[in-house]
Amino acid sequence: MFCLHYLGGSACEWEGVRRHLEPNVVAVPFDLPGFGTAVDSSCTSVEGMAGVIADRIAAMAPSRWWIAGHSMGAKVALAIARRAEDGDRKLQGFEGLVLLAGSPPSPEPMSDDKRRDMIAWISADEDTRLRKAGEFIDQNTGVPLDPSAKAEAVADVLRAAPKAWIAWLEAGSREDWCRRIGILRSPALVLSGSEDTDLGPAAQVCLMLPHLAKARHAVLEGAGHLLPIERPETVANLIREMVGDPAEALSEGQRLPDAYGALIDSSRVNTRLRDTLHARAAYHGRAYHPSALDAVELSILRGLVDRILPEETGFHKDIGDRIEARLAGGTGDGWRFAELPPDTQAYSAALRIVDAAARAAHEVGFVALADEAKDALIVALATGRLPIAEGAFDGGEMAKWFEDLRSDAVRTYLAHPAALARLGFSGIGAGGDDVSDLPGFSEMRVGVREPWEPAAEMENVR
Amino acid sequence: MNLDSMRRYPHDEVVDAVVIGTGAGGAPLLARLAAAGLKVVALEAGPNFDPARFAFDETLADEIYWTEERLSGGTTPEAFGGNNSGTGVGGSTLHWGAFIPRADQRDLRLQTETGEGIDWPLDYEELKPFYERVERFIGASGPGAYPWDPERSYPLPPVLRNGPAQIMTRACEAVGIRSADAPVAAVSRDFAQEGGGIRKACVNCGFCHQGCRNGAKASMDVTYLPLAVAHGAEIRPMSRAHGTARDGMGRITAVTYRQDGTEHRQRCAAVFLCAGAVETPRLLLHLGLANGSGQVGRNYMGHVATQVWGTFEGEVRMNRGYPSSLISEDMIRPADADFAGGYLMQSLGVLPVTFGNTVARGRGLWGRPLVKYLDRYNHLAGIGINGETLPCDANVLTLSDERDAFGVPKAHISFGYGTNENRLNDHATRTMTAIWEAAGATDIWVAQRVAHTLGTCRMGRDGDTAVVDPFGRSFEVPNLWISDGSTFPSSLAANPALTIMALSLRTAEAFLKSR
Repeated sequence: MFCLHYLGGSACEWEGVRRHLEPNVVAVPFDLPGFGTAVDSSCTSVEGMAGVIADRIAAMAPSRWWIAGHSMGAKVALAIARRAEDGDRKLQGFEGLVLLAGSPPSPEPMSDDKRRDMIAWISADEDTRLRKAGEFIDQNTGVPLDPSAKAEAVADVLRAAPKAWIAWLEAGSREDWCRRIGILRSPALVLSGSEDTDLGPAAQVCLMLPHLAKARHAVLEGAGHLLPIERPETVANLIREMVGDPAEALSEGQRLPDAYGALIDSSRVNTRLRDTLHARAAYHGRAYHPSALDAVELSILRGLVDRILPEETGFHKDIGDRIEARLAGGTGDGWRFAELPPDTQAYSAALRIVDAAARAAHEVGFVALADEAKDALIVALATGRLPIAEGAFDGGEMAKWFEDLRSDAVRTYLAHPAALARLGFSGIGAGGDDVSDLPGFSEMRVGVREPWEPAAEMENVR
Repeated sequence: MNLDSMRRYPHDEVVDAVVIGTGAGGAPLLARLAAAGLKVVALEAGPNFDPARFAFDETLADEIYWTEERLSGGTTPEAFGGNNSGTGVGGSTLHWGAFIPRADQRDLRLQTETGEGIDWPLDYEELKPFYERVERFIGASGPGAYPWDPERSYPLPPVLRNGPAQIMTRACEAVGIRSADAPVAAVSRDFAQEGGGIRKACVNCGFCHQGCRNGAKASMDVTYLPLAVAHGAEIRPMSRAHGTARDGMGRITAVTYRQDGTEHRQRCAAVFLCAGAVETPRLLLHLGLANGSGQVGRNYMGHVATQVWGTFEGEVRMNRGYPSSLISEDMIRPADADFAGGYLMQSLGVLPVTFGNTVARGRGLWGRPLVKYLDRYNHLAGIGINGETLPCDANVLTLSDERDAFGVPKAHISFGYGTNENRLNDHATRTMTAIWEAAGATDIWVAQRVAHTLGTCRMGRDGDTAVVDPFGRSFEVPNLWISDGSTFPSSLAANPALTIMALSLRTAEAFLKSR
């Protein structure tokens, strides 16, 4: 487990975790450029840091390895994971990643005041530096650290090269890797502290999980931002579980009801339709790579679709992905509202506006909201009353876009064989491959079924 | 359709006519001109399908819809694509509903009757023989005695009444409205198609809008187009017409088109533009052709096509059977109307994706209420109308700033109801709601919908106010003819395809006479 520290930390911050991981997992903490003993601070971009670490991993040539990143280190870990998944030969053996209060691929959410303040004091006089470094550690922990742990943490901060510290705040943390990272297919453990203000659970749900096809997100109640220092044993236990059984994070599809599956496989259904229905029924998990939207936008889209077609139809988890695929494929239904831009542009802008409205009202992104809060927002969206601070659309245009989204979602849903099974739709059985002898329908009477016709799932309980 | 042994013409041969579009406007005249011995070439933007491949699936049917993007604006924006626009050899008739009422003769003289709208420059008696020719040729199914036209009878018996039609029949009786088996362009028994083979009887599969698999429905690719090919017409699929060459007199001498990425030019003596009421004016506007009147793109019309839906206790299974198997023309001139013109009514069976789209857009449902409502699919049935839309200055097709893959500006259609349409719509909503209440429906709701594409190249008697003459000939470009819904001066209450076919034959006769 290669370990990358947070801004102001060093390899030392992993000491507790390292001890608790032994002997099952060997922790190898590194100093990032400009921190700890790595005084060379020239490679301070995300790309630069990832390059340095990748070289060090390659030099050790491990046969199997994971990478853990804390806060700033998480963004570097993501960049390395992307290289490994893309087949970088130096990084063979990569198996998964652990992201602790991670700085996400998107620009890190941080107020300008806080950023300015941190940039200012790191180069101030020694007394100010000492005082501010202490405050910095206190602000980033759920409960105060014991004095010796705090002293070590403060010492780490004071060792940091101000140039590297500033580079992260001014540039690295603001680099947008959203599209480059895309969606990683490797198993990932995401940890967040419930008391972490900037990179807590909501930020992880909104900005980190969208990039991970197979992730487990654990929230450490009462913890702040400095998880390896605050909760070394819990962190180590969670890592050990994950490394031991990453398959647990895999998601599953849903089987069609047997009777409907039998109808699909019968000679009443033509081959082209049968193949199509089977293809639609296949669920490919979360490892879908968006190409029209970015991963964060896709997760907001998924979140909205989950409310348009709620949980009880759990088989259609990939409707958002299929809508995205349509956008990426550039196909449409022959028209669009003249007020709205082309679909991909409209979706991208509208999803960001929905997210901004969620943040304005609740201080977290849409996907982190409780269902009730999501629904309240959708009511406003549907009725043209979504509060919009800035963005490409006004409330009326957002309502039109939401009409388009409802249409896209429902049409995708009702193309799915599981939805047709739920309805008891008999149309698929109108005839097989021999067009000179199609059975069609001969029974037209209300209330009378042909013997082979499926019943709706709700009919079974009528 | 099978094009393997069709006659082929070289590009540099001056053929008698190039026909752009193979739908209801292009196919009948293509067949008529070929039968008269003319050398004719049809350019079809879409592919040539084997109907056996159509698969009883709404999403797979996207291949027969015109899904290139159009911008829909105005106060009543209309849906395009599968709602009204097709592609492929046979055009929109591949997916049309095959519901074929004739125009009511009063609708052709609406201005004389009411002072509203505009009269057609031809009357019903001129159209009637062409209606009869088309109905005979395609094998129209319908009542032996048509309640609203004692002289009319259909060559084939009606198709079966499906669930919604049976419910509507009883309810209409209860409220004192006459109804009848609908005139339908699907053969109710095996039919020997002139120029083609045997068309199998309709099997009541319910997938008319997704492409008929056995030839029962009278799409052009199983009716007029085989006849055209048998008489020596050439049909070129995947051929997108985008330009013309003209001589010093302004006559078109060739049509340029792209086929499989290659530019071609077909020399010709005449051109028939039959691309529908969106693509026809779009091409003319793009080329700056035949628009001295300034009328190209003007008076765009979609029909008022409102639907009323309800839930029934028994299973209706509205996917079964021909979707619109009952008609009522009692509201063509309602006694208590506060509007000009009228509407006809039909029973509705709609498939899940199309219905779900109507619910999601038109009823505004989402979340659990949406899923619960869709779950009732097998218990739902609807009624719909097709209602007169008056021509209106504000309803116009223009070219947008965006271009398509061929570099042609996308169409921008601005459409909205006026007072007359709103009043008609209110009347129809009351009528249909009363019928559905009499039928015992619960949870009745109204879906607003606009159907068909009409107008934009109106016919008239005067080149200052119309694009084409009463036979479809351009006032300005003497060898350019238009044959599709774009020439309609007013919408008529009837669904347009049968009238487009009748006019197409009439245009062909006029062209032959003019040579």
